[in-house]
Amino acid sequence: MADTHDPAISVRGLVKSFGSARALDGLDLEVQTGEVHGFLGPNGAGKSTTLRSLLGLLRTDAGSATVFGLDPWRDAVAIHRRLAYVPGDVALWPNLSGGETIDLLVRMRGGDPVASRRAELLERFDLDPTKKGRAYSKGNRQKVALVAAFAADSELLVLDEPTSGLDPLMEQVFNECVAEHTGRGATVLLSSHILSEVERLADRVTIIRAGRAVETGTLEEMRHLHRNRIRAVVAGVVPDLTAVPGVHDVTVEGREVSCTVDPEGLSAALDALTLAGVEALTSAPPTLEELFLDVYRSEPDAVRP
Amino acid sequence: MTTTGVGPLLRLAARRDRVMVAVWFVVLLAVCFASATSTGSLYPTTAERVKAAEAINASPGIVALYGPILDVRSEGELAMTKMTVLYAVLVAIMVLFVVRRHTRVEEEGGQSELLAGTAVTRAALLASGVAFGSLVSLALGVLAAAVDVAGGLPAGGSVAFGASWAGIGLVATGLTAVACQLSASARTCAAIAAVAMGALFVLRMVGDTTDASWLSWLTPFGWSTRLRAFGETRWWLLLPYAGTALVLVGVAVALNVRRDLGSGLLAARPGPATGSPRLSGVVALALRVHTPMLLGWTLGVGVLGVVFGAITPSFDAFDSAGIQDLLRRIGGEGALRDMLLGAVISVVSVIVTCFAVAVVGHSAGDEHDGRTEQVLATATSRARAFLATLTVGVLGATWLLLVSGVALAVGVGGDTRHSFGRLVGSALAQAPAMWVVAALAVLCFAWRSRWGLLGWGMVVLFATLGQIGELLGLPGWVLDLSPYSHAPRMPLEDFRPAPALVLTVIALGLLAVSWARYRSRDIG
Repeated sequence: MADTHDPAISVRGLVKSFGSARALDGLDLEVQTGEVHGFLGPNGAGKSTTLRSLLGLLRTDAGSATVFGLDPWRDAVAIHRRLAYVPGDVALWPNLSGGETIDLLVRMRGGDPVASRRAELLERFDLDPTKKGRAYSKGNRQKVALVAAFAADSELLVLDEPTSGLDPLMEQVFNECVAEHTGRGATVLLSSHILSEVERLADRVTIIRAGRAVETGTLEEMRHLHRNRIRAVVAGVVPDLTAVPGVHDVTVEGREVSCTVDPEGLSAALDALTLAGVEALTSAPPTLEELFLDVYRSEPDAVRP
Repeated sequence: MTTTGVGPLLRLAARRDRVMVAVWFVVLLAVCFASATSTGSLYPTTAERVKAAEAINASPGIVALYGPILDVRSEGELAMTKMTVLYAVLVAIMVLFVVRRHTRVEEEGGQSELLAGTAVTRAALLASGVAFGSLVSLALGVLAAAVDVAGGLPAGGSVAFGASWAGIGLVATGLTAVACQLSASARTCAAIAAVAMGALFVLRMVGDTTDASWLSWLTPFGWSTRLRAFGETRWWLLLPYAGTALVLVGVAVALNVRRDLGSGLLAARPGPATGSPRLSGVVALALRVHTPMLLGWTLGVGVLGVVFGAITPSFDAFDSAGIQDLLRRIGGEGALRDMLLGAVISVVSVIVTCFAVAVVGHSAGDEHDGRTEQVLATATSRARAFLATLTVGVLGATWLLLVSGVALAVGVGGDTRHSFGRLVGSALAQAPAMWVVAALAVLCFAWRSRWGLLGWGMVVLFATLGQIGELLGLPGWVLDLSPYSHAPRMPLEDFRPAPALVLTVIALGLLAVSWARYRSRDIG
């Protein structure tokens, strides 16, 4: 058993090409044991390729990856005994019922479905296990895979855009299930392009773009790197904030001013506003959405206005 | 009923199927051409043609397979003996695949839902499948006629023959369209259509080989010989093909409006809420998934074996001097029986290979859809996943050979100079050749999952190589490329261990290479 201080997943400079297309281009990723790690990126950024490499389904071209300190390609079976995987697009066996599929997957991971939490999960996810695989909708196919993954107490859950077909009610159940599993010490790697989901669940986040990690850290750390958005209504003349160092994106509409401010420019900006007589003020930390857009908008050395 | 969107859907179908349909066409037309062009040189005089035709008519086993030759003096009818009925079955199978692919398969896969959301009506989905199947049938008919003319057969007869193929294709289109309304499962729909076509074939077989010859008038396969394409053609017999097709399509349309998209008329039965403890690994999974197909095949091969076993050795019309002469030349009545039994066994070995290839194709589909990914993300090694495909595919096909041998021996009964065991052994002796072709299919799949369907090409290639090769007089080494040509023609010949051993070693070698590749390639 790995030491709890060792990372559950460690990826260094991973490269994977499909023909001439470079899907992973020197990716770094580290998931600590016991954390929920959000893996964010738009479609085609290389999220699924990363997860499938970590499962030993793909043979990578360069770099290193370990899961539980083991090599995903050579030690696939040993690793898989300790994890559960939910693919992004769940395909079921057309002539197997949902219940049979769940039990099959649990058994193939070395678990015992009878002793597992499957009955309780079926109820919570409101899933009819007697339907044949072909009769399930996308959301229900997803639920089959989720129930199979959550039923046993795996050390690691690898979830590829797991809520893409679920309604908000079921998303809530999903969040609870993730919380229960982290509560007993499980590690979760959650890939997503749904920012609110990651914001709610993840302890740390890695943002991936074009096969490369562009940002990684806790949400706190990322927020420090980024600007607050300030909106204010002033009593007097709107001060010229563009001259204040660290203030950007200034828009003025009548007596209302809106801007984004670097942490180091915050005091100066507030001083200027106070002088003008603040009537209303809101300051919001950047949402993950904004962090995300920031990362994507920026060409490496683009100059901000 | 509005059919907005048929045009774009037809273009989509043509785009998607251009390779598959082209391969079918090339194979069917090549056999047609080879048969048309070679008969004249094989039987240069009318007397020889009459002798050959009478020999065929005298053997119920051959008539059961090919249908009778109604005008023994006609060169065209003799040349097209195999084409008229037996290869028409292949035409029907091709159309079954094509029509099902654009109706039920798309519904099961969800593409129909995507299309139904566009400016395409639900009726258009069925209409385009039917229209495409009809166009393919008609095009094949026209080309078959052209190929026959090119091969030197009379124009009028060639057109009538081509029309009979087109007619079979149209009926198969209607039949498949109806079958695809019945079940939500594409596999079940194919099974329903196949059973219906099999029944029509058996009807003709019974009609042609017994006194109840009126039965042959009830089935399209019977019309194809009774059309007398190369004699005094009964052109009016083309009407029943078209009429039957129209009625079937009408039924399909009527059924189509009575059901929801994605569902079948036969209500889907709910499955068990929990999985059996036996369903706990990838081999058990493969067995479970393929058991219905294996049972169907076992039944089909069993019936085929018993029927052909019962028909093959019996002879009636021995009064003809030509037949007596023929029998003397090939070594007596017993030798002719053995030859016919051997021919049936070699056909069965090709059919049975298709089972293994179908299983390999399913594994390719599992990988494409992402089911393999889920299995390999559990504590299942690649070796076991590979083994699962092999076990079900290759062992399943070998089991089917055994079944066919036993069924053949049962059908023959006491009416043979061979022991029960020798007949079963004759069937099993085909196994090494079948293994090699199956192993080639596995190799294609192991190399790249998208190539999983190339196995069908191998079966078609090797099966037709024997057919065309002999007719066209291709050099021996070309014929020897087919593994089937190295299997002993038992029970006429004796079993030779050397070729069987070599074939087995080749099959094992191919599987070893397949495994080396499969263990080291990307999944998906």
